Amino acid sequence: MDPKRRNGGNFLGGQSQAKRSKAAGEWDDSPSQFEEELLQFDEAEMESEEFESQTGHDVIPVGDLFSANDNPRWPRPPAPSLDPSSDTLVFQQIDLDYYLDRSVSGMPGQSQGKVPIIRMFGVTDNGNSVCCHIHGFAPYFYVTAPNGFKSDYLGEFQRELNSAVLKDMRSNKDNISVTVLAVDITRKESMYGYHGQRVSDFLRITMAMPRLIAPAKRLLEQGFKFGPFPIQNYQSYEANIDFEIRFMVDCDVVGCCWIELPKGKYQLREEKSTGNQDSQATAKLSLCQYEVDVGWTDLISHPAEGDWQRIAPLRVLSFDIECAGRKGIFPEADKDPVIQIASMVQRQGEMEPFIRTVFTLQSCASIVGSQILCFTQEKKLLQSWAEFLRTVDPDVITGYNIQNFDFPYLLNRADTLKVNLFPYLGRIRNMKSVLRDSSFQSKQMGRRENKTINMEGRVQFDLLQVLLRDYKLRSYTLNAVSFHFLQEQKEDVQHSIITDLQNGNEQTRRRLAVYCLKDAYLPLRLLQKLMCVINYMEMARVTGVPLTYLLSRGQQIKVVSQLLRQAMKQNLVMPVVKPEGGEDYTGATVIEPEKGYYSVPIATLDFSSLYPSIMMAHNLCYTTLLQKGSVEKLGLSSEDFIKTPTGDQFVKSSVRKGLLPEILENLLSARKRAKGELKKETDPFKKQVLDGRQLALKISANSVYGFTGAQVGKLPCLEISQSVTGFGRQMIEQTKQLVESKYTLSNGFQADAKVIYGDTDSVMVKLGVSTVKEAMEIGREAAEWVSSHFTPPIKLEFEKVYYPYLLINKKRYAGLYFSSCADTHEKMDCKGIETVRRDNCPLVANLINTCLQKILIDRDPQGAVEHAKEVISDLLCNRIDISQLVITKELTRSAQEYAGKQAHVELAERMRKRDAGSAPNLGDRVPYVIIKATKGVAAYMKSEDPIYVLENNIPIDTQYYLEQQLSKPLMRIFEPILGESKAESILLKGDHTRCKTVLTSKIGGLMAFAQKRSTCIGCKAVLKTDAAVCDFCKKKESELYQKEIFHLNALEERFSRLWTQCQRCQGSLHEDVLCTSRDCPIFYMRKKVQKDLDDQSKLVSRFGW
Amino acid sequence: MFSEVSAQKEGSSLLCRPDSEDQGPVFERMSQAYSPWSERYSVGERSFSRQYAHIYAARLMQMRPTLSERAQKKWGPDVIIKKLCDLEPGEQCCIVGTLFKRMELQPSILKEISEEHNLLPQPPRAKYISEADELILEDELQRIKLEGKVDRNKCVTGSVIAIYGAEKNDGKFTVEDFCTADLPLQRERPALSSDRFVLLASGLGLGSSHADSMLGLQLLVDMVTGQLGDMGEQSGAAAISRVLLAGNLLSQNTQDKDASTKAKYLTKKTQAGSVEAIRLLDELLLQLVASLPVDVMPGQYDPTNYTLPQQPLHRCMFPLSSVYPTLQLASNPYEASIDGVRFLGTSGQNVCDIQRYSSMDNHLEILEETLRLRHLAPTAPDTLGCYPFYQKDPFILEECPHVYFSGNAPAFGSKLIEGPDGQQVLLVTIPEFCSTQTACLVNLRTLQCEPVCFSAFTAQEDEESEMNVSH
Repeated sequence: MDPKRRNGGNFLGGQSQAKRSKAAGEWDDSPSQFEEELLQFDEAEMESEEFESQTGHDVIPVGDLFSANDNPRWPRPPAPSLDPSSDTLVFQQIDLDYYLDRSVSGMPGQSQGKVPIIRMFGVTDNGNSVCCHIHGFAPYFYVTAPNGFKSDYLGEFQRELNSAVLKDMRSNKDNISVTVLAVDITRKESMYGYHGQRVSDFLRITMAMPRLIAPAKRLLEQGFKFGPFPIQNYQSYEANIDFEIRFMVDCDVVGCCWIELPKGKYQLREEKSTGNQDSQATAKLSLCQYEVDVGWTDLISHPAEGDWQRIAPLRVLSFDIECAGRKGIFPEADKDPVIQIASMVQRQGEMEPFIRTVFTLQSCASIVGSQILCFTQEKKLLQSWAEFLRTVDPDVITGYNIQNFDFPYLLNRADTLKVNLFPYLGRIRNMKSVLRDSSFQSKQMGRRENKTINMEGRVQFDLLQVLLRDYKLRSYTLNAVSFHFLQEQKEDVQHSIITDLQNGNEQTRRRLAVYCLKDAYLPLRLLQKLMCVINYMEMARVTGVPLTYLLSRGQQIKVVSQLLRQAMKQNLVMPVVKPEGGEDYTGATVIEPEKGYYSVPIATLDFSSLYPSIMMAHNLCYTTLLQKGSVEKLGLSSEDFIKTPTGDQFVKSSVRKGLLPEILENLLSARKRAKGELKKETDPFKKQVLDGRQLALKISANSVYGFTGAQVGKLPCLEISQSVTGFGRQMIEQTKQLVESKYTLSNGFQADAKVIYGDTDSVMVKLGVSTVKEAMEIGREAAEWVSSHFTPPIKLEFEKVYYPYLLINKKRYAGLYFSSCADTHEKMDCKGIETVRRDNCPLVANLINTCLQKILIDRDPQGAVEHAKEVISDLLCNRIDISQLVITKELTRSAQEYAGKQAHVELAERMRKRDAGSAPNLGDRVPYVIIKATKGVAAYMKSEDPIYVLENNIPIDTQYYLEQQLSKPLMRIFEPILGESKAESILLKGDHTRCKTVLTSKIGGLMAFAQKRSTCIGCKAVLKTDAAVCDFCKKKESELYQKEIFHLNALEERFSRLWTQCQRCQGSLHEDVLCTSRDCPIFYMRKKVQKDLDDQSKLVSRFGW
Repeated sequence: MFSEVSAQKEGSSLLCRPDSEDQGPVFERMSQAYSPWSERYSVGERSFSRQYAHIYAARLMQMRPTLSERAQKKWGPDVIIKKLCDLEPGEQCCIVGTLFKRMELQPSILKEISEEHNLLPQPPRAKYISEADELILEDELQRIKLEGKVDRNKCVTGSVIAIYGAEKNDGKFTVEDFCTADLPLQRERPALSSDRFVLLASGLGLGSSHADSMLGLQLLVDMVTGQLGDMGEQSGAAAISRVLLAGNLLSQNTQDKDASTKAKYLTKKTQAGSVEAIRLLDELLLQLVASLPVDVMPGQYDPTNYTLPQQPLHRCMFPLSSVYPTLQLASNPYEASIDGVRFLGTSGQNVCDIQRYSSMDNHLEILEETLRLRHLAPTAPDTLGCYPFYQKDPFILEECPHVYFSGNAPAFGSKLIEGPDGQQVLLVTIPEFCSTQTACLVNLRTLQCEPVCFSAFTAQEDEESEMNVSH
């Protein structure tokens, strides 16, 4: 049966209604004829589009962006009609931007020329989309008013500045005549430093457009002359604030909050009727169901509390594309077609996606539960998918690496094929989505090159980006990630096979489609599991920035947003400072660790939220900082200020309460509230929201300290950050002294307490008691007692007991973690020990982990030593699974571009010479193992493809693994137990290192000349025939046979378990397993067992079996 | 059955003084016609470069005609038989396909080896079924979830069946009825003039740490070889024309699975745990083969390969007994014709595996189920190790056996069932000898089967067993 017919109902692309009805009539009878027709339509349409593109896409008729013939599930629920005079419109905003346009009649603000208009996108409780234009808000900044400035001068100042800015413009495309809209005098105070609470005159300069702020500020700073005043440099304030943030701060709008438009205060835009050109100004510009205009003072923003914490039924679309690449070349958008696009759409808060579709090139057999749309032309496929996207109208678009691969590929491909209506993926119908390169740098993530695509009104939520930001993983392939978080393997199909599957029949394409669907589904599941959307939304609400900023910007903007909000309340303004690299200040120090293995409970006392609480306790802030000489100038008494350990001075809160402490108090009390509510809440979904919220609050509180220390930040303040760490150091020292002075034998305790290690915000104390319970009791008491020596809210908390505890070095330790219950440990806590370092092979992490488990959980250090010895022996005997030895590195540049020779680059080159088809491409991760080579061969030449190694029996350089990979980490954990000299002699020398298996490679060197002779299985004597044993061993034949047959038996069991597991994973019994996921622990294993089994079978067959 | 004979000969019991002069009567051992049928279970050149998909494909292809025929017989000749890819929602039709049961509790090697997550070892379970299991039917190209009138717990992965019903909108197939291939055709059994017996035993468990079973085992050997009992019993024993040992000759203890995982420097000097037990077995077999033919099948714990079909034990392990032509080292599964009676059976792995992955517990019931499915080992290769066959599935029953057995059952059981085409099959579950001290005798003439208990010291005396030597 023809699958195309079954899906025929949805097969047709974006043609006009008339053409379609004609086509559909003929469809059932003769598909081929229809295909021809399709072609004709397509060409006709292309011509008309080209014409359109010449005239500009200023306003594209809605009909062109949609096909009316869509699935009833696709569009949003119908929007009830809205009467602005009697209905209130309430929606959750999810994205916010601004644009310049002529003002709309009836709306406040400047009416001439183009004005900045804030645009908000959101969703109502019913799931209807809203686009809200907010009028009348203009950008502004402050400068200090010159001495003797009076309101009479305002007019002149404005005129002069206006003309200066106009003159400064290189071109005036928009024909702006007025740049400075207004200048007012306000009474404000600078945020930086304490000046005795004197408010002074500031000029508030309102500009016509956001982009005019920068030149105006520059001109004023460089020296500006007007009226009677001489040339003078004006210090500017708040001139470096994004316009969106400015608006959000002034309107008290936070990210993802609920917005209410009261009845009678807004205007509803209607769909533009084709006949009436006059009403163009207020015609709908977006694809949203409601489009409204409102004055900026008329909207009500609800703080995210109580009922307003809810989340609208957002539509989350996840998609994945497949391209048919050529052999050996990573798909290129100008050559290789897009063959499939799988999409899944889910409503936020629901468990299953309600739309599952695959758009395929060529026919594809049906997939139960999914809709398949087949196309004969790639152009049609792309265009229809774009229509699908616009019809579904998702609020959030996710996927895996869509930002840097899928979207750029689609856009470039559409460009190559001239699918002109494709790149309108946003909600504004005349806004073309274009690709830009951007780079982003932050302390947290380093420098990253990214591509960005504008998509107005939709939040792009690339899961890969989220994971890169929030999680440290060994590997970031979708496969590795889903195994890590969902414990699920996914089938991994190689690029080259994709093309073969596409060129097969409708069944092979179906297989590809299933694979593609899965790739679209996994990001959704991960998003749900990791609660990304909820957590990010809560973060947006807490810090008050738009959701999209959280993925595209760093930490600073979040603090700026909060600082501005707080400053506004206190009538403070934030200065613009030039970034300058200052000297570094000493970070947190630690108490020198007393390394060793402790088999007694070690209590850990932590300062909860140390840095935030220091800032609060000592009132450290920009606004309380006393600059040099201020004390004398302001005549402060010593009661009024404090001196920090680093010698900086700050006024006490009795004089003035700082902004930062206040922000922190809000954050931490909000966190406490959220935690309280979390305890009470029973609804699992609301629980997730609250948990996300408290986490967001914690992260935000900690980022405030970082903000003051960021040297190239918006408002660095070394005095604050160095004082904070100074206090921290002092407190750790003090805690040590206090604890060691009180908990002594002479004071009636069981033993002298000893602080064995102190980190940034915690101290580990050996209390000398023998049970966890006692340690907990004393720990609790000690924490309370020590806390009483510090200024509140600084609080030392007893958090956990480690028992036993292995202290290796600074920031390197492991222990069993007891916190709530004294009888059972909660987890094994390892800090700074080789577990996720990516330049190690997995063997290291696994071995260290197992050894730690044996030491800590089983309390069996001897067993750990034995285990380590066994693993080392296995390594030397070639019995370690090769996947454990694989080291992976990303191929980021070609060999010429790398300065030094690198193992993975050299390997990629060699593989290309062997077989260009399967060689890794730029951007691929190259897995390799280190193989044996003759002496003196450079390390980078010893890398080899693990599969090649398996197939050709190439010996592994076990010595390299032992010495370069295993020995150091092993020594580290065993030295505290065995002693430094002994550890090496026990572990790295001895019996277990003497039994080795040497493989004979099938390739290279002299192997071509070597002749292999059978040897007796019993005594290794060379045999003349291919029999199993020599005459001497004949009487032992039965024994020898049994040993070998048991080995075969074990291998066969492994074989059957491994390969059936792969069948289950791929979800089909009748098809061969194609998966080539190198991240899967089974991948190399199943290959090796095949090979071992063939070898062993051959060996056993010598017995004449 | 023998006691009848002995009862007739009053006064010749063991309690009498032996006839000193007389050597006593010589009972001629019944000989029989024997032809093995097990070529299909021998794998010549072994290659593991293939995958398991082929065996499923071959199975489905081979069984489809039979099932289509059955379906037409059951639901009328007009029933629409479709492939899954042609399925129309809502249409009543019949689909032939392979069952797949998705089981959460199924042990996964993936989880076992993922040390990265420090998962606790999966607890060993007696059964892996759970409420969350899903039943799926798969044909060459697609799969579909099943619901409705099909017992999810009873079904196992790998069975080829025909289902009747319709696809619902949610993408699931609602089953209204289903059918299996049922018994294949049977060859007629020749009528025998006299009673002849085949003794079936399994699970001797040599080399186990507790040697209680050794006495029972020696009694069995003595009985069979005619060293035991009075003349009547000896004459009865002479009617035993063959012994079939159905696997697990050695105990599980002889398997040291550790040997393959333990570091080589620790195991270099050690020998396989089975060496002693094999020596014992050789001696035991020597006693038997000297007097009658013995078929020895390997089982789960015996030193041969792991995957089904298990190849015969190697002669080199039996330097004493292999001299005799009466020692038949057979494969598992075993198929042979003994006096025209077709024997087919396994050492029990197939049955035990189904027991673990379905709700069925009774070995006899499972045995019958596999017969109805017309497949010896449906769960192979999914959960039961199996050689990756390429173009055939040797486990499909092509001819109906007369005696269908499985070894290593917890208890003896037998049942005569009748097939739709008048086939008569004797089902036998041979109990594990080392725990039950029980073997069983099959009468080739009547197709009756009885247990024989050699228990020396059982607390509860088994009234049923007439040949209780401990009397």
